[in-house]
Amino acid sequence: MRRITSIEEFRQFRQIVMEEETGDLSIVVCAGTGGQASGANDIIRIIKKHILNKKLQDKISLKITGCQGFCEMDPFVIIEPGSHLYPKLKMEDIPKIIDSAVNGDLVEELLYKESKKTCFESKADIPFFQKQTRTILGRNERIDPIRIFNYIKEKGYSSLEKVLSDFDPEWIIEEIKKSGLRGRGGAGFLAGKKWELARATKSLINNGQKYLICNADEGDPGAYMDRSLLEGNPHSIIEGMIIAGLAIGATKGIIYVRSEYPLAIKHTLIALRMARDLGVLGENILGTGQDFDIQIVKGAGAFVCGEETALIKSIEGKIGEPRQRPPYPTDKGIYNCPTCINNVETLANVPIIISIGADEFAKVGVSGNTGTKIFSLVGKIKNTGLVEVPMGTTIKEIIYDIGGGAIDGGTIKAVQTGGPSGGCIPASMFDLPIDYDSLAKAGSIMGSGGLIVMDQDTCMVDIAKYYMKFFMEESCGKCYTCRKGTQRMYEILEEISEGRGTMKQLDLLEELAYVVRDTTMCGLGHSAPNPVLSTLKYFKEEYIEHIKYKKCRAGVCKDLVGAPCQDACPVGTEVWKYVAHLQRGEFEEAYMAIREPNPLPSICARVCNHPCEDRCRLGKSGADPVAIRSLKRFITDRVDPSIYKQDAVPLNGKKPAKVAIVGAGPSGISAAYYLSLNGFKVTVFDSNPEPGGMLITGIPTYRLPREIISKEIASLENENLEIKCSTVLGKDITIDQLFKDGFDSVYLALGSHKSRKLGLEKEDIEGVYPSLHFLREFNINNTNLAKGKVGILGGGNSAVDSARVALRQYDVDSVTLLYRRTDQEMPAFQEEIQAAIDEGVSIRTLVTPIEILAHDGRLAGLKCLENKLGEVDSSGRRRPVPIDGSEFDVELDTLIVAIGEQPEQEATVPYEIDVDRQFRVKVDPETLKTNRKGVFAGGDLVTGPSTVIDAIATGKKAAKLISNYLAGKPLEIPAVTKIPEEHIDSNLDNIEKYSRENRAEQPHIDIAERRSSFTEVEKCFAMEDALGEAGRCLRCDLEFTATEDGESEKKDALAKEVQNDNS
Amino acid sequence: MITLKINDLEVQVEQGTTLLEAARSLGFPIPTLCHMEGLSPYGACRLCVVEISRENTGSRLVTSCTYPVENDLIVKTASERVLKARRIIIELLLASSPQSKIIQDIAAEHGVRQQRFRQEYEDCILCGLCVRMCKEQMVAEAIGFQGRGDNRKIGTPFDTPADECRLCGGCMYVCPACQLRCTYTQPEKAICGGCANLQPPCVDKEKFDDMMCYMEPCVACEIIKEK
Repeated sequence: MRRITSIEEFRQFRQIVMEEETGDLSIVVCAGTGGQASGANDIIRIIKKHILNKKLQDKISLKITGCQGFCEMDPFVIIEPGSHLYPKLKMEDIPKIIDSAVNGDLVEELLYKESKKTCFESKADIPFFQKQTRTILGRNERIDPIRIFNYIKEKGYSSLEKVLSDFDPEWIIEEIKKSGLRGRGGAGFLAGKKWELARATKSLINNGQKYLICNADEGDPGAYMDRSLLEGNPHSIIEGMIIAGLAIGATKGIIYVRSEYPLAIKHTLIALRMARDLGVLGENILGTGQDFDIQIVKGAGAFVCGEETALIKSIEGKIGEPRQRPPYPTDKGIYNCPTCINNVETLANVPIIISIGADEFAKVGVSGNTGTKIFSLVGKIKNTGLVEVPMGTTIKEIIYDIGGGAIDGGTIKAVQTGGPSGGCIPASMFDLPIDYDSLAKAGSIMGSGGLIVMDQDTCMVDIAKYYMKFFMEESCGKCYTCRKGTQRMYEILEEISEGRGTMKQLDLLEELAYVVRDTTMCGLGHSAPNPVLSTLKYFKEEYIEHIKYKKCRAGVCKDLVGAPCQDACPVGTEVWKYVAHLQRGEFEEAYMAIREPNPLPSICARVCNHPCEDRCRLGKSGADPVAIRSLKRFITDRVDPSIYKQDAVPLNGKKPAKVAIVGAGPSGISAAYYLSLNGFKVTVFDSNPEPGGMLITGIPTYRLPREIISKEIASLENENLEIKCSTVLGKDITIDQLFKDGFDSVYLALGSHKSRKLGLEKEDIEGVYPSLHFLREFNINNTNLAKGKVGILGGGNSAVDSARVALRQYDVDSVTLLYRRTDQEMPAFQEEIQAAIDEGVSIRTLVTPIEILAHDGRLAGLKCLENKLGEVDSSGRRRPVPIDGSEFDVELDTLIVAIGEQPEQEATVPYEIDVDRQFRVKVDPETLKTNRKGVFAGGDLVTGPSTVIDAIATGKKAAKLISNYLAGKPLEIPAVTKIPEEHIDSNLDNIEKYSRENRAEQPHIDIAERRSSFTEVEKCFAMEDALGEAGRCLRCDLEFTATEDGESEKKDALAKEVQNDNS
Repeated sequence: MITLKINDLEVQVEQGTTLLEAARSLGFPIPTLCHMEGLSPYGACRLCVVEISRENTGSRLVTSCTYPVENDLIVKTASERVLKARRIIIELLLASSPQSKIIQDIAAEHGVRQQRFRQEYEDCILCGLCVRMCKEQMVAEAIGFQGRGDNRKIGTPFDTPADECRLCGGCMYVCPACQLRCTYTQPEKAICGGCANLQPPCVDKEKFDDMMCYMEPCVACEIIKEK
C-alpha cells in the first residue's frame, strides 16, 4: 500500500474507494468470537466451497464481519440486499440459501421466526434489532475488520481528516465536552473534562511526553462489548485514539487488551499495520506533521488491572496494584507522565461525535447521559446478545422488548448490572431508566455494561457467594479490608448457603460489607460489596429462608436442597428413592417410600401438580423431565396399601385430648390422620355426604375416580379417627359449641368453595353459572346444567375442568374457553389444557367480556372485546389491554364463570375469626394460629385455591403444631434439611433391557370414549415403560450417598489390607 | 503552606505532608500497622483511615498515611464512621493473627473484646513493611509480593533462596505480626493478653502496691476478677 502524504490525497483516495463497484449480492457471516464458537468458521468454509464448486464467484460475494450482536442466533448469515437473516444454521443449510439467493428467492423455512409463527423477511423488522439504536454496533455489520477499505468506505477516518484539515485541539476538546460524552468504562467521568485536564498538565519528562491509553481490559464475567468492538471495528477505536491523542498532546497510544481476546488482538494488530501503511497512523500523519503511534500491551488477565492506576503499573511491568489517587493519572501516569485513560466504547464514540457534531450527538439519550450505550445481555433471557440503546432506556424495554423476556417457562426476578461490581436490581424496579445516576441510586452501577438476567432458578445467596469468590480471587490483595473482607464475606455466605448460618452472621455480613466499601482504596474494593449489599437490600427474605428454614427456593444451594425432586415436594417425598426402587423392580419398597410422607398417594398419583417434575434436573438440562407422577401411579396401582402399617400411639388409659377438624378435604384428612396417630381423639366434620372436599366436589371423576378417594380415605381410618359427614358448620355445629363439647382444639380446613363473580350486570340470570356450582351440581347431585353452546370464562384448572365436564354432558353442542391473556399464560396445568384441546374444546384467547346478553330472561350470548398484549406487569407477563372498537358477540346458551375462587364468608365470619378482604382466614404462617385461642386453620381456606399436595403439607404441619399445642410445647417445627441418605444402586440389567431416550407418554383411553363417558382418562404405564422411564432418572441422590459409600468401601479395603499384612 | 481543618482545628502544614503526619503532629492518635517512618507510605492495613470532606460535599474514608494534605480539607480522625470501620478492621486482624501482641494492644485500646469471624492462626497480615524495608532501607529487594487475592503472599523470587538476601533480619524486626508474640495460652479467647506478658506481669499486681496500669480495660485484671 502506498503511504498517503497529504489530506487532499486522502480525500481523493476515499473517492476512489467509494466509487469502487462491488457486486450487488453478498452473503454476510457474523464471525466474532461468539459466532466462531458456535461454528461460523465451518459455515464460512462451506460457503466458500459451495461458491467455488458452483462457480458463483461473479454472482455472490462473501463478507466476514465481527460480532453483530445477535449472539443467540449464531451462527447466522445475512443475505444482502434485503437483509434476510438466516439464524442458527447448520452446514447442510448453506447450499440451499446460496442457490436461492442467486435466484432471488428466499428459503422461508430457514428465515428468522418468532414463536414458530411470524416469519421475518428483513433483519430490520426483527424486534431485537428494530428497537435498538445501533450507532456504533451497526457499523460492525458492514465492515470486514481486516480490510481498511471497508472502513474508509463507511466514512472511516473522515473525522480524523476533518480534525487534521483545520487542526485545533482546543476545538476537539470543546466539542467532546459539549457532546456530554461520559466514560463508558463505568464511572461515567466526562471524557472531555478528562482530556482537558490531561492537555493542561505540563509534562516535564521526555520532552513533554504524554500517553493515551485505551482500556480494553474487560474482565467482568458476562460482558463482551469491548471485545466485539475491537474485533468487529478496530479502525474506529484507532481513529478515536488518534483524535484523543492529538487533542491532549500525546504522541504515544497504548491499547491495553486482555490476552484472553486473541481475535481482538489479531484484528487490532492487522488494523494498526494497515493504518500505518496508509499513513493515518505513526509519524507525520497524512503529511500534517502530527505524530501519533499506537502499540498493544497484552494484560495477563487480572480483573484489577482494569482499574486505571493498576493498569498503569501493569504497563510499566510492575505488579498490577492500584495506588492512592490523587495524584490522578492525568497528572502522573505511566512513568510519571500525564496519561489519559479511556474505555474502548468511549473512544468508539469519538469519531461519531466529530463527524455528526456534538449537538446532534447530544440529542440521543437524556440530559446528563447522552449518546447510546452497548449492553451485553446475558443469562436467563431469550435473546442473548449485544444491544445498543440510547441512555435512559428502561430496563424493562431492554429485557422484554429487545431481549424477548424470560426463557420459556421462566419468570425473571432480577438483573445484575455492571458485572461483579454491580448490584442486583429486582424485577419490581424494571421501570428504572439505565443511566449512571439512576443505577447508582438503586445501589448498582453502570459498569462497563453487563446485564445478567436471573430467573426463579437463580439463588441470590449463591449469586452473592459466586461474586464474592470472584473478588476474593481477583482482589489485588493490597488493602487488608478488601483481601480479608471479601474472604470473610465469602466465608459467611458459604456458611449460610450450607445451612449453618445464623441471623447474627447476617448482621455481621452487612456491617462488614459497609466497612469494606468504606475503607478500601480503589474502585474494585469500593464496589466489591455491592452484590452482597444489593441482594441483602432486595432479597433479604431469601437469606432468611436459608438461615431459618434451611430452604433454598431456587434449588441451587446443594447442601440445603439435596435431590431437587425431593426438595420441590411440599411433603418431602423421597422421589429419587421410589424411582430407584422401581427401576430395580422393587415395587413394595417403592410404595413404602411413597406412602411414608404422604397419606393420600393414589390421589396424588392422579391429580398432583408435580412440582418435582418442574424441578427435575433432567428437565432442566434440555430433555423432558422424568414422568414422576406417572411412575407414582404405576406403583400405587400395583401395590396393596395394606403393606404399609403405622400404629397409632396407644392412649395408655389416659383420657386423650380431643381435636375437632372442620373440612374433610386433603388438608383436614391429613391433619386428622397424623393427629390420630399421635394419640389424640380426632373428629372430622364435613358438609358433604362423603369425605374428600374439593377432591369430590371440584375434581371430575374422569381425572379422579370416586372409589380411589373413598378407598384411600378408608385406609387411613383407625380407632382414634372419626369422620362425621353431612354436618355443616354454622348449621349443625358451631365453633363455640365444639369447645363446649369438650374439644381442646379446632382445625379449620374448609377450603375455598365460592367462585368469584364477574361483576357484570345480569350475572344471575338463567344459563350463567359459577364454575364451582356447576361442578358441584354435577359431581354431587349428578345434574347436567350445561347445554347448547357453552362458554367458559377463565384459564385456571377450574375453567378447564368445567370445560371438560361440560363437553361430556348430553345436550352440549360445543365448548369454548374464553381467556383474557394468551395460551402461554394460562395458569391451568399444561397437560390438562392439552387434554381439553384433544377432546374438542376450542380455546379463544385475548378476550375481555363486557356485557352479558339476555333474551327472554335467559342467557343469549356474551359481548366481548379483543385484547392485545401491553406492558409487562409485575408478574413478568404482558398485561392484556382491550382494543377499543373491537366488540364482537359470542352466541351462548350456557356461560360458566371460572375466574377464581375464595372461601365462603359464612364459614368463619360469624365466629370472630380474622379474615382478609377475600375472606381468607388470617393465620400466623409459622404456627397456623388464628386469632382465637386453640383454633388453627390451613389449606385453601387460608391460601385461596392451591394444590392438593400443598393442602396435605399444611395438614401435616397442622398436626404437628396442634400436637405441640396440646402437649404444652412451643409452637415451632425445627427446620431440617432433607439430604438423601440411603444408597441404592441401579439395576444395570434393567437399564440395558429397558433403556429409552425420551419421556414415556402417559397412556390415555380413546378420544371418542373420552368425549362421551366419565371413565378415567389416564391409564397406567405398562411394565416396560415404567422401568424404562425410571431408568432415565439422573439419580441426583447419588451425589450425596455415593461418596460416603465409596469411602466406606475404601476403608473396608484398607482394613482388609491391614489384616492381610498382619497375617 | 496548606491550610486545612483537622478535628475542627485549623492548621497550616507544608505541601506534601500526609494527613497522618499532620494529625500526629497535632497529637491526634491514629493507629497504624503498615506505616513506619523511613519507609514509603503504602496503605495496606487501612487502620489509619480518617474521614475527609469539603464544604458542601459528602465525606469519605481515606488512609491518612497515603493521602496528601489539600487546601480546605476537613478531616476527622475519630468520627463514629471511622471508629466503626477501625473496629471491624481490628476484628478482622484478630481473627487472622490473634498472637500478635501489637494487634492485641490496638484491640485493647479500641475496646474490642471479641471477634466474630472464623478463627485463623496466620502470622502474616501482608502489610508489606518487610518488603519495603528490604527494598528501601536494605536496598536488597530480596523479597516481594506474589500472587493476588487470597493467594497473595510474601516470598523470594520463585521461592528459591535469594542471593540478594544478606540475612540482615530487618524484615523480622519491622514485622508487627511476628516480632512480638503473645504468649498467653489462648489469645483468641482473651483478646489482649498483652498485659499478661508485661514484666513484671500485672497478674502479680498485689505485690506491687503503687503500680500504675495504663491499659484500660485490662484483660488480665478482668480474668482475675472473673475467677
